[in-house]
Amino acid sequence: MLKALCVAGLVLAGSATPFDIPLRSTSAAPTAKGAARLQYAASPFGVAVTADGRASYDVRFVLDGLPEPATLGAFTTYLAWMASPDLKTWRRLGTVRNGTTVVGQADLNKFLIVVTAEADSMATERKGPTILHGPSPSTWLQSMLTHPLFRGIPPG
Amino acid sequence: MRINRLAALLLLFPGVLPAQDNGMAPKSYDEKRGGSDKVSLLKRVENNPGPWKAADVEIEQEKGRPFLYVSGFVNYNSKIYDITNTSNPKLLYTWTIQDPELHRGIGAMDGKYFKIDGRYYYAQSLQFQQGTPDAELGAVILDVTSLPDASKVKEVARIRYPATPGGFHNTFAYKHSDGRALYFATINDSKALVYDLGKIVKGDPESSWLIGAVPNPTPMKQMGAGGYHDFYIAYDPATKKDKFYGAGLGGYSVWDVTRPEAPTQEFTVTSLGLDLAHTFTPSPDGRYAVTETEYQYSPLRIWDLEPGQSGKTENIDQPIAAWAADWQTLSHNHEVRWPFVFVSGYEDGLQIFSLEDPKNPKTLGRWYTCECTHEKGFGGSPENGWQGDHSVMQGAFGVDVRNYDGLVVISDMRTGLWTFKFQGFNGWNGRDHGQPNISSVQDWDRGPTAALTP
Repeated sequence: MLKALCVAGLVLAGSATPFDIPLRSTSAAPTAKGAARLQYAASPFGVAVTADGRASYDVRFVLDGLPEPATLGAFTTYLAWMASPDLKTWRRLGTVRNGTTVVGQADLNKFLIVVTAEADSMATERKGPTILHGPSPSTWLQSMLTHPLFRGIPPG
Repeated sequence: MRINRLAALLLLFPGVLPAQDNGMAPKSYDEKRGGSDKVSLLKRVENNPGPWKAADVEIEQEKGRPFLYVSGFVNYNSKIYDITNTSNPKLLYTWTIQDPELHRGIGAMDGKYFKIDGRYYYAQSLQFQQGTPDAELGAVILDVTSLPDASKVKEVARIRYPATPGGFHNTFAYKHSDGRALYFATINDSKALVYDLGKIVKGDPESSWLIGAVPNPTPMKQMGAGGYHDFYIAYDPATKKDKFYGAGLGGYSVWDVTRPEAPTQEFTVTSLGLDLAHTFTPSPDGRYAVTETEYQYSPLRIWDLEPGQSGKTENIDQPIAAWAADWQTLSHNHEVRWPFVFVSGYEDGLQIFSLEDPKNPKTLGRWYTCECTHEKGFGGSPENGWQGDHSVMQGAFGVDVRNYDGLVVISDMRTGLWTFKFQGFNGWNGRDHGQPNISSVQDWDRGPTAALTP
């Protein structure tokens, strides 16, 4: 069982680069596919950060295979969201469509990108089915103090 | 005359004689259907759709609480059944992780119920991959006191362990001799965690929940691995200690957890071929043990723990016997109700053998629950439907036994929940077998020392 989990993790990790988020489809729309790329939001300093120091990104979506929203139910549009890893915090990023769309900003240290079908393009609360999703590359980071190689070495 | 006597013996013990010969040729895989004559099927229940249905299974043990819990594995759910009628389990409640389509991992693995101050709880262990939602989540705890009224079942806590993403694989809820209800959990690190369940369900600060850790001393720790896979905790009447029997990468180890805040090592069981130590279950008196190693062609091994328990040696490296349902497959979890061992044997379904003579295990009965194709077991990823190559990890995953009436249940990865009756086994109390009344079943009201008194 442990071996299967490791293999699955390697497959997932192998497809990720520091700014690219491969998106996975769900059973709601299996034909949908695409990726998101994190690009620093506009800033006079070149690298955009929030006031408390978290990187701030625009998210560039390249999507394909999205069916007409109405074919999935009472929906008119697709919305992109940023969610915290525990799925407690959600923020609307903007509408997306087949082709290239840039929305923003995503500024959590670790987050999940989710695309849903929605009835209202201005919705601030996610209600529709998940169509695509993927984790930010930063979700793979963890404290190196917990790594076996560093275990036993006191911090500082 | 001799022939007549033999025929009479066969009539008296119809299922025993042919099954005793572990050297006989195993059944072909096409023939692995149905069961032996001492095992009666009560009911099979498809608890989830799809190719993968269940991980572990847990039965409540008090009369008047006829409830059973099935961990839904990659379906990321738990299902609670009313088994008032053991031949017709009735689904009462389904818990599912929120937004299951956003999660990745092997999901709902192991469930344990416990009781504190008259209220009943169920802890569902969870495993989600690092880099995906809830990778830090180890378990969800439900208050199930209201059952069979499922409308009042509610989630009361989530246990998170951010230091090592990947959740809890196996867990053990233990009524400690000091009165506390403890929760032992495996993590992706070379130790097992110990939580105080009372603090968790009473809403104490999260920082106070974790009270201790049991290190894994076996050799693979030096390779940067070495986490526990499973464990069993029991009171040792001879030494009046609470003991932890751990199985992990590198072998097995026994710890004194009378003070769970400061465990002390007693001895290890390590040798060649034990790197993938998986399960470690002692007899009620701690004298013998059954162990599993998680690789194909590996038998269950039987050990005499006396040299370790008595302090004569720090490591035991020679088993006294072995048992296998079929040398070509692999047996998984087991429950010991001495001298009987109930096995969830992956492709070989429910298997039951006796350790009445620990050096000569005897097969007593079986029921093939997998109904699957050999070596087409679990593996891969969600993208290929978790289909592995040459994997025998499919079929009977979990087994549990209800002590007051002898109900036997199997959770099968491929086919779901099964309930059984093992003929002549109408319940289990260790004292009926010259043993303390100790098993994985906890006496939540009186604690483990109650096992020493009638």
